[in-house]
Amino acid sequence: MSQTSSTASVPPAIELRGVSRRFADPGGRSVGVHPTSLIVPQGEIHGIIGFSGAGKSTLLRIVNLLERPDAGEVVVHGETLTRLSAAGLRQARHRIGMIFQHFNLLHNLTVADNVALPMRIAGERPARIAERVRVCLDFVGLAEKADVYPGRLSGGQKQRVAIARALAPEPHVLLADEPTSALDPRTTLDLLGVLADANRKFGVTILLVSHEMEVIRRLCHRVSVMEGGRIVEQLDIAGGRIPEGSRLAGWLQDFGAVGPAASPSPSAPPQDGAPSHFALEAAHV
Amino acid sequence: MSETTSLFDTLNELLPEILKATGETLLMMAICLSAAIVVGGALGLLVFLTSPGQSLGRFRAFNLAANGLINVVRSFPFIILLVAISPFTRVIAGTSIGPLAASVPLSIAAIFYFARLIEQTLRDVPRGVIEAAEAMGASPLQIIRHVLLVEARSGLVLAVTVLAVSFLSYSAVAGVVGGGGIGDLAIRYGYYRFQTDVMLITIVLLVVLVQSIQFLGQWFARHVDKR
Repeated sequence: MSQTSSTASVPPAIELRGVSRRFADPGGRSVGVHPTSLIVPQGEIHGIIGFSGAGKSTLLRIVNLLERPDAGEVVVHGETLTRLSAAGLRQARHRIGMIFQHFNLLHNLTVADNVALPMRIAGERPARIAERVRVCLDFVGLAEKADVYPGRLSGGQKQRVAIARALAPEPHVLLADEPTSALDPRTTLDLLGVLADANRKFGVTILLVSHEMEVIRRLCHRVSVMEGGRIVEQLDIAGGRIPEGSRLAGWLQDFGAVGPAASPSPSAPPQDGAPSHFALEAAHV
Repeated sequence: MSETTSLFDTLNELLPEILKATGETLLMMAICLSAAIVVGGALGLLVFLTSPGQSLGRFRAFNLAANGLINVVRSFPFIILLVAISPFTRVIAGTSIGPLAASVPLSIAAIFYFARLIEQTLRDVPRGVIEAAEAMGASPLQIIRHVLLVEARSGLVLAVTVLAVSFLSYSAVAGVVGGGGIGDLAIRYGYYRFQTDVMLITIVLLVVLVQSIQFLGQWFARHVDKR
């Protein structure tokens, strides 16, 4: 009984209520997000998948209001972001981590200073910052790179630093915008392991956008499928099973289940260590 | 009497004048570079931040007005600006001759020159990095301090170097209308009195100054660039 009442009183980590966003792309066509609602419970890893231009990145960027919706409400951890003042929104963003396809590290700061940056911005005490930098670099396995500049790191290491930076202020929510799309398949698998660990160890809710089926399948508990600015399907895929008859299963059939020989990019052969049925490249939808 | 002896004698004879002129040039440079870095730097930052797609992009009117003003001031050839604002110079400096008076038009030209340089230098900071800071909850001032001034710092050092070299030569132009400094020396002795050796000395002095500024600027820019 107490179990049910306590889960009922926990607000979802992310709640989008009828958010929409329209803007013209460089070609003059109108792209964006149609009125869309999404609830992500605390502790979930939720994926958003879709073709280019489906509006998945826009939807993700609406969550921390990098993209302000034309209509609708955004609630993160019980706080209605769309009603906050500029200062209130900055405060709320201190607890929403974000990682990007191209990492977006500062190249003139050392790894440790990059990880410290969000806490310096939030005005944390230096002792606390030093402690969190140590813990988070340890967590991503880059403690020995603390004094190195990002220019000396590989792509996978840069994304690890970006994850440490996002986790440092102990966020409720981690937003991941195509975090593995610039990385090779083996590095992608490593990174997915780090993200899954972060979810298990720190309980951080993750909302992840990807166009790679394999990324979604390996990492996410649930997935929202987007097409034409709408969420057209929501599936429970915990355990990596994609329900038959779903649109996602159809895509997998059409675009995913291609043998490695027919893969359009022979430059990256399937990895030996990956117990995957198909090459990651072939799993792009 | 050989050419070298004559040059050496001239140098010896005019040494106090040369030192005084160099001091005046350095004074003009110090004033106009300080004004440019403080006022022009702030203006350049604001123009960058209010440009479309940046964090203060909603202040479009300010951006258009400031951009227009920078273009107008930069349209003036320096010698014309010098003459055109001389009434204003007299109000500010109390006179229109001497290094202090020359510093007024020099500062105005330098402020708008540097504002444009800074705005262009900051464009090299990837939008994604600025966006990452916005996602962390950084205020515009924090973005300037923690992101723009950090990521663009080697470009900013080079911008100051270009500014210093340009305004060393502008300060020599100011000498034409009695601004003092190395340019004034060159005009008075080298041109009006046909003392080619003085002209030669001032040219060598200017070349040495420019080389030193450029060398120092490039060394420092390289030193702070960790990209």
